[in-house]
Amino acid sequence: MSLVSGPGRAASSALPDEIQLAIEPHVKYIQSLDSRRNELEYWLTEHLRLSGLYWGLTALHLLGRPDALSRDETIEFILSCQNENGGFGAAPGHDAHLLSTLSAVQVLATVDALDELDERGKGDKEGGGKLAVGKYIANLQNRETGTFAGDEWGEEDTRFLYASLNALSLLLLLHLVNVNKAVDYVVSCANFDGGYGVSPGAESHSGQIFACLAALNIAGRIDLVNVDKLGRWLSERQVDGGGLNGRPEKLEDVCYSWWVASSLTMIGKLHWIDGGKLTEFILKCQDTKQGGIADRPGDMVDVFHTHFGIAGLSLLGYPGLEEVDAVYCMPKKVIERVLGPNK
Amino acid sequence: MASHGIPRPATTAHRTEQQLQEEQLQIQEYRDLEDLIRTKIAERQYTLEVLQLTSKLLKKNPEYYTIWNDRRRLLIYGLFSESSDSSSSSKEPSSSSPTVTTSTSSEGVSSSAVSTAENLTTTLHDPPSRNRGKSGTILDLIKGELEFLFPIMIKFPKCYWLWNYRLWILQQANERLDPDIARDLWNRELILVGKMLVKDSRNFHGWGYRRMVVTQLESQELHGKSMVESEFEYTTKVIHGLNGLSNFSAWHRRSKLIPTLLDQRGADDATRQQFLEDEFDLIISAMYTDSYPYAQSAWFYYQFLMTTVTDYVGHATITPNWTQEDRVVFVTRQLAVLGDMLDGAEDCKWVYDALIEYTLALCQMEEREPLPDEKTDCQSWLMELRKLDHLRSGRWDDLEISLEKR
Ligand SMILES: [Zn+2]
Repeated sequence: MSLVSGPGRAASSALPDEIQLAIEPHVKYIQSLDSRRNELEYWLTEHLRLSGLYWGLTALHLLGRPDALSRDETIEFILSCQNENGGFGAAPGHDAHLLSTLSAVQVLATVDALDELDERGKGDKEGGGKLAVGKYIANLQNRETGTFAGDEWGEEDTRFLYASLNALSLLLLLHLVNVNKAVDYVVSCANFDGGYGVSPGAESHSGQIFACLAALNIAGRIDLVNVDKLGRWLSERQVDGGGLNGRPEKLEDVCYSWWVASSLTMIGKLHWIDGGKLTEFILKCQDTKQGGIADRPGDMVDVFHTHFGIAGLSLLGYPGLEEVDAVYCMPKKVIERVLGPNK
Repeated sequence: MASHGIPRPATTAHRTEQQLQEEQLQIQEYRDLEDLIRTKIAERQYTLEVLQLTSKLLKKNPEYYTIWNDRRRLLIYGLFSESSDSSSSSKEPSSSSPTVTTSTSSEGVSSSAVSTAENLTTTLHDPPSRNRGKSGTILDLIKGELEFLFPIMIKFPKCYWLWNYRLWILQQANERLDPDIARDLWNRELILVGKMLVKDSRNFHGWGYRRMVVTQLESQELHGKSMVESEFEYTTKVIHGLNGLSNFSAWHRRSKLIPTLLDQRGADDATRQQFLEDEFDLIISAMYTDSYPYAQSAWFYYQFLMTTVTDYVGHATITPNWTQEDRVVFVTRQLAVLGDMLDGAEDCKWVYDALIEYTLALCQMEEREPLPDEKTDCQSWLMELRKLDHLRSGRWDDLEISLEKR
């Protein structure tokens, strides 16, 4: 049970007069991803298999088709990716990494199977189950600075800090780490433009801004954000074509529909961009025949952009989609079930 | 998986039976190689031969992070510790059995790895009293790794794992080699990342990597000293280069260097004031010469400079000893400069945006409400913003409400 895109399939390049979300083709596209073992690309992307499953599954839930993938096979696959140290690798036999560990926790939460960790996860009776996963994550915190490494080899990045707080909060194990130190670290990454980078001194980048805002949100410290400055910087990510870019004077890209729009949502400024134009841009990036969404109109589709495109549309209130949670990038319903309605 | 900028073909290319078969062969070859590496790593065969196998796979797929990790294990538990100059600092994993033996079939492999490393030694001197073992010295191995990575990085400049592994290798040099030798390696990295940034002057990884290299070269561990002056110089060069005005990465870096730069120069108040004036001259003359002031990167830098004057508490500042009056005079003067800029750039929304922002900032500094004509000005600038920028009308709505409240 695994999902990863191969190259997108071809489609007619002409767009229909009225563009709508091609729900059925997208569902079929996501379902087809695991049956592409005769393509070299399938094997070359194995290092993203678990995240691919999170992207595909979340998109399906947002599309209102939660049963389009088998729940049992999903759980089976996730558990097969767990390493002895409690963390999850991208696929069976791959080393544990924080990013795939987050995806594993998110997928299990989405299919309401976090308890499976306690029953069948790695680790002994006292230290096993959810706690084994939590301990794996907690060990990656830099106790001096508060930030997190992605794995045992030590690369640090605010994305990892977010991934840790996200996964630990879903496991109800946030107390395993020093949240205040993590918050201090995020604050030290703030720039004069109101944005955040990978580490102190690094340039603001929409992906990092999403990670930092979401981390602050989970820690209950969104009050530390310079909302006006950041809102202005983020709103300037929208370019004439309606799409959003990640940094000043770069090309627009569907994945930033998510990172920028969710960040604006978290600071209450989503109305500072043109939602209609952004919706149009995302819809233009669809392959309406074969399903899937690309980074820009006419490009090759993949499950990553499919997921972020649909999540962006959900954030913008596109009719018929399940509501997405801006902090967790998961269906709101799921977050409410795991964390309670007032998370 | 997450492809960027790859065009979708207009029609499904019909693939012949032969093409399909070829793809199956490629898959088989790839998976066989993967299996072989897994088996050898599971057996802890940390040899040059296996290192070479991982090279083959990583050239095909540099995103395969587990294989990069295998490569690290190969080095720290195998090749580093059996190299001719190994020290006792290399650790064996507690559960391992010492199975590391270089088989004869790896001879060809090892000699090629050493010879690529030797190409580099012509420009970099080896430590004098070290003999070559069958795996060469640790320095040879590290240089071999750096050489191996370079062409892959040119091909995949946005692959996280490559930058990450490169840093790790260099940190191994810090831990295992004489500081002066490690320092030479980091110095070459500065040249390399300079070249990478010439190729793509906005590469996010490149700028991040540059910061880390500089941090290393400045560190006590490597007998370094501050490079703030030369790095500041570097941003000046980039900004004056091709499309430099639009290079937000360079402006950003500059903004981070300035406070330290002035501190290290021991700048007095007059020097600091002159410095601030020069930076404003730089950005404003750039806006005038470079196809009008439409580049948003330049405006964010302008915002940074203004912030050091208007909103200096808890933020970077250039002129810390300025009185409130000094600041007010300065902001008033900038508002006049902005007003002049409108002449010939009536369609530039950034000017209107800045005029409103700093008019309101001025009121805040003087702890007063806007005067009636300031308010009228702001409202007329806001009308221009509405006309010029439809995408952000929600923002202009909020601005209008906040103006009305004053
Ligand atoms: Zn993208």
